[in-house]
Amino acid sequence: MCLIEPGQSGECRVRINIDGVLRTVVYGFPCSLNIDPIEKKPLFHFLPGTGVLSIATVGCNLHCLNCQNWEISQANPEDSQAVFCPPERLVSLCRESRCLSLAYTYTDPIIYYEYTYDTAKLARQANIRNVLVTAGYINKEPWEKLLKYVDAANIDLKGITDDFYVRICSATLKPVQDALLVAKASGILVEVTNLIIPTLNDKPEQIRELSRWVKANLGGETPLHFSGFTPKYKMQHLPPTPLKTLEIAREIAISEGLDYVYIGNVRSKEGENTYCPGCKSLLIERKGYFILQNRLKDGHCPDCGREIYGVWK
Amino acid sequence: MTRRKFIHKLIKAGSHSYCVLGIAYCVYGIASLFSRNTHHARRTTKFVRALRLKKYPGSLRPLRDIHKQSKWSG
Repeated sequence: MCLIEPGQSGECRVRINIDGVLRTVVYGFPCSLNIDPIEKKPLFHFLPGTGVLSIATVGCNLHCLNCQNWEISQANPEDSQAVFCPPERLVSLCRESRCLSLAYTYTDPIIYYEYTYDTAKLARQANIRNVLVTAGYINKEPWEKLLKYVDAANIDLKGITDDFYVRICSATLKPVQDALLVAKASGILVEVTNLIIPTLNDKPEQIRELSRWVKANLGGETPLHFSGFTPKYKMQHLPPTPLKTLEIAREIAISEGLDYVYIGNVRSKEGENTYCPGCKSLLIERKGYFILQNRLKDGHCPDCGREIYGVWK
Repeated sequence: MTRRKFIHKLIKAGSHSYCVLGIAYCVYGIASLFSRNTHHARRTTKFVRALRLKKYPGSLRPLRDIHKQSKWSG
């Protein structure tokens, strides 16, 4: 938690103390505003095949050495470009482009909290769903308040040790695990992402421990995405994650009882598809972010009738 | 004995026992300061909604084609 002196900003760079009053400098000023496939978040069990209006402001409360979006997450707002787009305009843009959902993503909605909260509230009134893509490093009270207007979240579980979070992200593990538990208990759809970085969190025993934690605390139906790392920011000396490592991680997670385990950022035929955890038949076939076929019948397996975790319409 | 007199005696005498007591006093002082700060942080933890700044500190640009997929991850 930052204690911000007058005239200073917090660790995130975008919340400042002006004469004892906390102010956000990015409210209504996204640096990025695009329509993405929902699968890109990644969310594989939420309105598949639909477009989601995705926004972010600069800043982040974490400083991950491997950040894939460091050019905006570690940027100073005074050095960056943005557009003016207040919450009402965001919602009308979403409606005009016929997107079913709005995603608060790329950097972290936690640091543009008020903008996220106000937009999400308006979007809910307009029957637009709200999606968060976040590292989950947030205190309980604001998290619970925000979740009332959220429909789905992809939350990073970057590692399973405090040491990893401290060394790589300048953060700690417990607040993230607590945020995951609160999110799941709130009833929203939760998917988890773990970015596998060679030599840092790619050992089979680490993958096993992470998978066990997800199964025991969030439930075996919680989709888990293993993403491949690309050398970026302060980790350009490390190699990209080999496909073999991701495939082994997926096998370990499935052996630990997780029903839906995916591989991301790297092409993998089986790792991109959704299979029935009961009869193993192919339910949703994907190629990258595109749906090739969707065999689900009202959210159930068409072959054995098993209910498949997700929000399908 | 006041704290000022005690420290003065410490400097003047250079006595070993006074040094030990002085060090212990400093450790106690630092420990109580830390616990006060920690307690202060715990006591004042509450959710504060930030007010918005009307003017963006950086530069503004017009809205471009939003139908193009973003290059950012997530």
